[in-house]
Amino acid sequence: MDEMITLAHGNGGRRMRALIEEIFAPALGRPDTQADAAPIALPEGEIMVTTDGFTVQPARFPGGDIGALSVHGVVNDLAVSGATPLYLTLAALIEEGTSIALLRELVASLGKAAREAGVRVVAGDTKVLPRGQGGGVYFTLTGLGVRTPGCPPGLSAIRPGDKLLVSGPVGDHGIAVMLAREDFGLRGDVRSDAATVLPLTLALLPLPGLRFMRDPTRGGLATVAHEIALALKLGLELEEAAIPVRESTQAVCAMLGYDPLYLACEGRVVAVLAPEEAEAALAAWQALPGGAEAAIIGTIGAAPGPVVLRTPIGGSRVLPELEEDALPRIC
Amino acid sequence: MKEDFAAAKGWLERIKELPIEQPVAVMNVCGGHERSLTQLGLRGVLPANVKLIPGPGCPVCVCPEEDLADAIALALTGKVTLVAFGDMLRVPINAAKGEVRSLAEARAKGADVRPISAPQEAVSIAAAAPARPVVFFAAGFETTTAPVAAMLAQGVPENLSVLLAARLTWPAVDMLLASGDAALDALIAPGHVAAVMGASEWGFVAERYHLPVAVVGFSANSLLAALYSVLRQKLAGKPFLDNCYPELVAPEGNQRAQSLLAEVMEVTDANWRGIGVIPRSGFSLRGAWKRFDARARFEFFALPRRRAGEMPPGCDCAAVVLGKKQPDQCRLFGTACTPQNPVGPCMVSDEGACHIWWQGGVRAAA
Repeated sequence: MDEMITLAHGNGGRRMRALIEEIFAPALGRPDTQADAAPIALPEGEIMVTTDGFTVQPARFPGGDIGALSVHGVVNDLAVSGATPLYLTLAALIEEGTSIALLRELVASLGKAAREAGVRVVAGDTKVLPRGQGGGVYFTLTGLGVRTPGCPPGLSAIRPGDKLLVSGPVGDHGIAVMLAREDFGLRGDVRSDAATVLPLTLALLPLPGLRFMRDPTRGGLATVAHEIALALKLGLELEEAAIPVRESTQAVCAMLGYDPLYLACEGRVVAVLAPEEAEAALAAWQALPGGAEAAIIGTIGAAPGPVVLRTPIGGSRVLPELEEDALPRIC
Repeated sequence: MKEDFAAAKGWLERIKELPIEQPVAVMNVCGGHERSLTQLGLRGVLPANVKLIPGPGCPVCVCPEEDLADAIALALTGKVTLVAFGDMLRVPINAAKGEVRSLAEARAKGADVRPISAPQEAVSIAAAAPARPVVFFAAGFETTTAPVAAMLAQGVPENLSVLLAARLTWPAVDMLLASGDAALDALIAPGHVAAVMGASEWGFVAERYHLPVAVVGFSANSLLAALYSVLRQKLAGKPFLDNCYPELVAPEGNQRAQSLLAEVMEVTDANWRGIGVIPRSGFSLRGAWKRFDARARFEFFALPRRRAGEMPPGCDCAAVVLGKKQPDQCRLFGTACTPQNPVGPCMVSDEGACHIWWQGGVRAAA
């Protein structure tokens, strides 16, 4: 095989066939590459569909890469909606000049993440963009899953006094990508939290007090808090001391002036539960490998108001809505 | 580093037990302090009689408008690469509508303007393109200026020059106190500046002006310990210089950094934006280093522009910097002036009081 992607890899001929047969098909469980469309079987339930494009720069970062990240991103959107993800479709946009070895590694990582999440890539497409018209490798994935209808019930079911939980430390993904991108001369041990959250969401689905789940990606935990407050027209209070943030992430944030509450996570869940079931949800998460550092971090207010952060010293400050994205292209 | 707040809570309890019957205004000199105490929500937990006032500790805010205008004009010639610390890029000058008002706007018009976060990046950029003049627009206090001096002392590419807008912090406080109209009863002094220049630099506040003063770090523990110290001093009527950041700050400071500064630069009178010239509060390059002065290499004064005063109409940044107004006492705050559309420099920098209050959730003028 060649060393670099050329425009010929997108021309429909021999090189394109080789690209698909030698790189994509083996990594993705050998779907039928001859058919124009794939038949799929779906179990009983409400069919859920989502789609997402991935452009993260750089393509590889501590704790992940764009291949695995794309699967996690789509699988997690289905998972927090209460669905069990089943199928994926993949569109790959590859810039001319991309190293074949890198592409092979990214696609292998994508395939591995899909297998681990129990989803099959059933259809796909590749395009090659002329040099300078793309950013290396972009993936766009559509995901299909099935859930019990109306579970979880969603934002409108949230009531004053409900509790907010987060499944683990926030901000690691944003910092890991930024450190991989910028040469700050910082040697951190921050790794992206990118992972499938399916075990975490499945663990909460049996709880009747579960109202709502969301993965705090772009805009981070603070943005999810705002989305909830805005939808409910209720205030919301977060306990700063309860919010898990890794020391290494906190240290980099302090140095560079970022707030971890606004930085993306790719393997965390924010959940809202009835107060009487918050402890049960916490225990369920803490028993799972990805949930050991889960915490109850806040309460839905009884009246309209801002998102307020209670500081460890007993003070409080309003947590404003994210104004400008400090870190573009993190997913 | 999640701090252990037990000690901080202890200081807070002790502050609450103090018999503070009259209002006490405590000014912080450093923008980093303002950010820390706003983020902690300290104003809401301290006794009502303790007023915390943000002070002059924002180098971007006091960078003279003419220096910024010169940097913009130079960048717009297209003949240089201009590098500056990131928070300088969006600071507006008081230019007429339609004219380029900031380095960021100059960049959008095609000027080669690049944000950096450390002096060494300026050296790398210059070394990578030896034929291209690179101008490092260096605004900052002692904590930034010492690394700029170190950069020059270590040797820089010939195509690199420095447009220096460096300032010393203590002369501004001295001027403010000497003016007699400073409404403050105590001072918390900047920890990082003191780490470089020495805690003893701040002794004059107690000795000459009989005001309590403490050198402070940036944790809740250090801030509250220092507040307790200055409040106790005030109540006892015995002001002195307390060092509440001894783990980083020595009385004499970092002597190697000071000798580098003295080798490369000399102290000069300098203009502070909206405030005026403060004696011996700035730096210029000296001796052999003069040839790296951008002002010696480029003809700034040939660059035409209309001047309309240093601050945009209605902007109270100068009063905010001097602690004479709180950010939300400016009538532009949160209406005409926001971080997205800053009118004055205090709404741009991470160390500007207006920006810090906005980030802390204050959204409208009081």
